[in-house]
Amino acid sequence: MSTDKATAVQEKETQEHNWDEYLQSYYEKPASTRTWSGYEVKEIYTPEDRASEDYKATVGDAGDYPFTRGIHRNMFRGRYWTRREVVGIGSPADTHERAAYCFKNGGMGLNTIADVTYEMGLDADHPWAKNEVGLTGVNLSHIKDMETLVGDIPLDKVSWSLITASTAAAPTMAQYVAVARNKGYDIGCLRGSIQNDPIHFRYCGFRPACPLDLSVKLGSDVMEFCTREMPKWYYTTVNMYDLREQGITAPQEIAYGFGIAMCYMDELIRRGLPIDAFAPRFTFYVSCHIDFFEEIAKIRAARRMWAKLMKEKYGARDPRSLHFRFAVHTAGCSLIPQQPLNNLVRIAYEALAAVLGGVQSLHCCSYDEPMCLPTEKGHLQALRTQQILAYETGVTNVSDPLGGSYYVESLTDTLEQEALRYMKEVEGVGGMEEAIRTEWLDRRFEEEAIKRQKEVDNQDKLVVGVNLFTTEEEKTTPLGVQRIPEHSARDQIEGVRKLKMSRDKRKLNEAIKKLRDAAAEGRNTIPAMIEATQAMATTGELLGTVREVFGYSYDPLNIIESPFH
Amino acid sequence: MSKEKIKVVISKVGLDGHDRGAKVVASLLREAGMEVVYLGMYQTPESIIKAAIDEDVDVIGVSYLSGEHLVFTPLIVEEMKKKGLDDVLFVAGGSFPPEDIPAMKAMGIDEVFRGGSLTEGFVSYIQKHVGQKGAE
Repeated sequence: MSTDKATAVQEKETQEHNWDEYLQSYYEKPASTRTWSGYEVKEIYTPEDRASEDYKATVGDAGDYPFTRGIHRNMFRGRYWTRREVVGIGSPADTHERAAYCFKNGGMGLNTIADVTYEMGLDADHPWAKNEVGLTGVNLSHIKDMETLVGDIPLDKVSWSLITASTAAAPTMAQYVAVARNKGYDIGCLRGSIQNDPIHFRYCGFRPACPLDLSVKLGSDVMEFCTREMPKWYYTTVNMYDLREQGITAPQEIAYGFGIAMCYMDELIRRGLPIDAFAPRFTFYVSCHIDFFEEIAKIRAARRMWAKLMKEKYGARDPRSLHFRFAVHTAGCSLIPQQPLNNLVRIAYEALAAVLGGVQSLHCCSYDEPMCLPTEKGHLQALRTQQILAYETGVTNVSDPLGGSYYVESLTDTLEQEALRYMKEVEGVGGMEEAIRTEWLDRRFEEEAIKRQKEVDNQDKLVVGVNLFTTEEEKTTPLGVQRIPEHSARDQIEGVRKLKMSRDKRKLNEAIKKLRDAAAEGRNTIPAMIEATQAMATTGELLGTVREVFGYSYDPLNIIESPFH
Repeated sequence: MSKEKIKVVISKVGLDGHDRGAKVVASLLREAGMEVVYLGMYQTPESIIKAAIDEDVDVIGVSYLSGEHLVFTPLIVEEMKKKGLDDVLFVAGGSFPPEDIPAMKAMGIDEVFRGGSLTEGFVSYIQKHVGQKGAE
């Protein structure tokens, strides 16, 4: 560029730059002083902002009731949180490979997620599955798929988090146990968790697979079975995260999540299990959204509320029953495709909030979540975000470092009061099961989601790249795009077809009959599902058989019919 | 424009259950004065196009969040062509990589709106382009 030309460009830019605007932005102050959930906060908090209180009774040290400050006294000095990245892609072999990659790079726990076809309870050869096998997770149609997923991973050593949330969690548990038994493991030694929260999955698009009664039945069957057989296994992760992703606020996340947890607990009590036999195995999946202090306050409030609920309402005595154990998933819905590298920053703040809140296990979203499944580089970056937090920042030194902050304690109180108000509202409509049945809860989600969009439209909520500091949209994804290998779905479909032709029909039919009888006689279905899995029954066949006993169509989509009549 | 109110069908397709965006968009289009037929989940290309014909819509809006956009887009377009819906606007929303947008448009989608889209953007796009397609 010639000097003249360069000067001309510079002059033009100077002319175009609005210096009044510059001056305005120099003196700019925040337009809103509300939290993400809409609570007005003051400019400074002082000792006056907290009612005179008994510290021991309402806050307490970490490790002491009501556990506001953490469930262990020494928190991360005792043990880091588990760095657990969710993996689910293509075939069981593809997923195994990516999980092994995360493991090799310092991921501590395995965390595999089912795809939409599996969550719906469809085998890969179902007419509706063919377009979507492996797109959002892994499809496990039968025991051999689970064997491939497990591969050479030592099941008695690793902690495996199996993310199947719908009624398909029952087959997942059966398939995992069947593989473990076939490999000679004592299932009492298995460590890990299964999501197994079919009620919440009604709100994630899986209603046909999750009728309310069947959700309570199969969800509770998994819980009861594990209570008796697998003492080290966490058999439900009540998914508050997915509820939050619907657009609700922080206190609603607690209130509705606890409401769903109580549906399962009440059923287990009806079955005659004492609260302390199962409450220590309940865990939660919590969102960490972008409002830093509010999310920390939410976690602290949830911990206190859960302890009180378990002690006062359910009469739990075992201290472990009072622990609100939780994993955090940084908020996928806070990420946007515009200026996607900014998501790395959002994720890091959200992860920091999770750690300062005293998280047990953390999944950082990959920055490319609004575009595609995580690429290998995306996964690695998410893992590195956790590792920098753990090893460089020093945040692991002290339990609940924000405890005693006038603001954080006050906000914790606010979140607790608000969550209690929402829980009362649910009681007012007849309890959570009723709120679900009458679609009262659906309406809450829809209202809140619309509010959230309007807040962004009106600039009540600011999002860099959406309603300020916008730039032209990128044409490419910075670290590439994850694609599903083309042969993966084909192999998966072929695999289940072959299995269905080659198995011992007599043995299979007997096992299916046993499962049907167990369901019809009100017995726990998991032992029969394990046996049927070993007899090569598929996911769709296990679920379909139980569905029919409950009066539902064999196929959740009502397209194929049972091969067992 | 021949009709007074713009009529839109909003749908999910296949098994993808992320319906928050589709529901929100349906509500916001209604508030913007359009008539919206919300089909919800578990639709097929055939069922969407059937509804579009039965309801005589001006716009078809499909929401993709599970990586299914390259699978279903050609199937929907094929069905539109088969049924002669040449003047109906086809827009898509959801999560997909920017790399795929040229391919989606080449397949026959008129415009896409990903996460982080503001209401004004998609409302004004529809208002501006509805009824224009056949005339082009």
